[in-house]
Amino acid sequence: MPVDTKRVRGPDESQSPLIFLPKSAQKVVPKEGREDGRQRGQTDVRPVFARCGLVSQAKGSAYIEAGNTKLMCSVYGPREIERKDETDMKSGRLFCDFRFAPFSCQKRGAWIQGSEEKDFSLALLESLRPGVCLHKYPRSQIEVNVMVLENDGSVLAHAVTCASLALADAGIEMYDLVLGCSLRQDGATYLIDPTFPEESGSCVADNAENQGSVTVALLPSLNQVSGLQSDGEMGEETLVDAVRACIEGCHKLYPVVQQALIKSVRRKAPPPEN
Amino acid sequence: MATVQVSEAEKVYIMHGVRDDLRVDGRGCEDYRHMEIETDVVSNTDGSAKVTLGHTAILVGIKAEIGKPRPMVADEGFLEFFVDCSANATPEFEGRGGDELGTELSNTLYKVFNNRNSIDLRTLCISPGEHCWVLYIDVLLLQCDGNLFDAISVAVKAALFNTRIPKVHISEDEEGGKEIELSDDPYDCMRLNVENVPCIVTLCKVGHRHVVDATLLEKACSEGGRGSLDPESIFEMTETGKRVGKALHAPLMEVLQKEESLGKKRQKVGFLG
Repeated sequence: MPVDTKRVRGPDESQSPLIFLPKSAQKVVPKEGREDGRQRGQTDVRPVFARCGLVSQAKGSAYIEAGNTKLMCSVYGPREIERKDETDMKSGRLFCDFRFAPFSCQKRGAWIQGSEEKDFSLALLESLRPGVCLHKYPRSQIEVNVMVLENDGSVLAHAVTCASLALADAGIEMYDLVLGCSLRQDGATYLIDPTFPEESGSCVADNAENQGSVTVALLPSLNQVSGLQSDGEMGEETLVDAVRACIEGCHKLYPVVQQALIKSVRRKAPPPEN
Repeated sequence: MATVQVSEAEKVYIMHGVRDDLRVDGRGCEDYRHMEIETDVVSNTDGSAKVTLGHTAILVGIKAEIGKPRPMVADEGFLEFFVDCSANATPEFEGRGGDELGTELSNTLYKVFNNRNSIDLRTLCISPGEHCWVLYIDVLLLQCDGNLFDAISVAVKAALFNTRIPKVHISEDEEGGKEIELSDDPYDCMRLNVENVPCIVTLCKVGHRHVVDATLLEKACSEGGRGSLDPESIFEMTETGKRVGKALHAPLMEVLQKEESLGKKRQKVGFLG
């Protein structure tokens, strides 16, 4: 590529100006209560909007919105496995691809998949796999693509829910839906389904105990946990309570997700009019 | 990881053994395999350690370099992890085969170790906002025989214990220009406090019980680590993990102190031991 030598090139690495704001101008997460009116220590997840079938070319797709967190997922397959050397005669393979749109986070991301996205892809794969009847799809592959359009916290949890919704919409046989819920532990209390500032900000003074976050993926009707991610540090009891709270949070999502599925089935096969 | 096939009969045998707290190699459910640790094995590094656990062999080398602190945390240094799955360990790692596992391992290590309480990252700061120590922690898998996470975490801890960062001091001239000066004495070093550096304990659910430090065979019995668990068993497993982790830490620190106290008298084992 020809390089314009007269042009002043920008630095290789650049930072968002927002992080250089003085401490006083930065938005602080309140120590009591939460900004969006929810309560700390309660399992009141953000209201969720979910809908199936927005990508016409995909076998199944879903869109989910919780607060300002917006993401979509499409499912392709089952189709013949591409890499022949990895063909498994007995069961199918699930591929997950998790991506942030470059503009989805506060800091602009790159188009190439970063290590955080790879990490999320793997977590997503491990959470979904126990829910899918892969033995019904021998020698085939199912692809799950998740794209985060706007990141306002708890993306992995919502990605799990959205992906399982899309899988169900694609008519892939499953044992159960997989629901995700995450939580930010802040000392003695917790914030369920945290927003981005709540998730990343240090809410209280440094060196406080029990600072961390937990994400749980749950198969609700089988009551099985298929994914558990934990960051930060917590006491054992706190962790147990946090997981319990997440499970409760997952159950709150269940009816919404069920409704979205019923709607999509109705649309695909309208009930006979008589 | 090397794929292991288990027949139904083997599976039943292993599962019944686990149920009665007696595993195929004679261990109980909460016992580790024989572990060997040797520090200071590579002379070009600032700290290194080699750990073997059963047949799993891990080599960790730490190099300290001067870098620029991250703008978000101007008064802290940071750690960089890289895990190399060499094709020596298993042919599956050839080419790009080990990349996926490598990123998974290094992401986990980053999450576990880059923590305010595990290492005081502020001791790595040289001058806030300008210079800090960056510890490049490179992990090499020499042999895989299950339980990579635990072996790696122990090796990283041992290597951090062994790390000696040269002391530097900052001089300022009249015009306010800063200069970093390295101490003349090569023994004038800074050590890291590794008392709180975590160890990873991996548990595997086989049948109705869970085992520590599963061999590849045992792992194959627990759906290859890709199933789901009911909430109660997760809580039990965290409890066991905590207990086992505590029991692992104390002897580990003791061994590391003891090895160091031997000084030059220490017999070097190397890679063929």
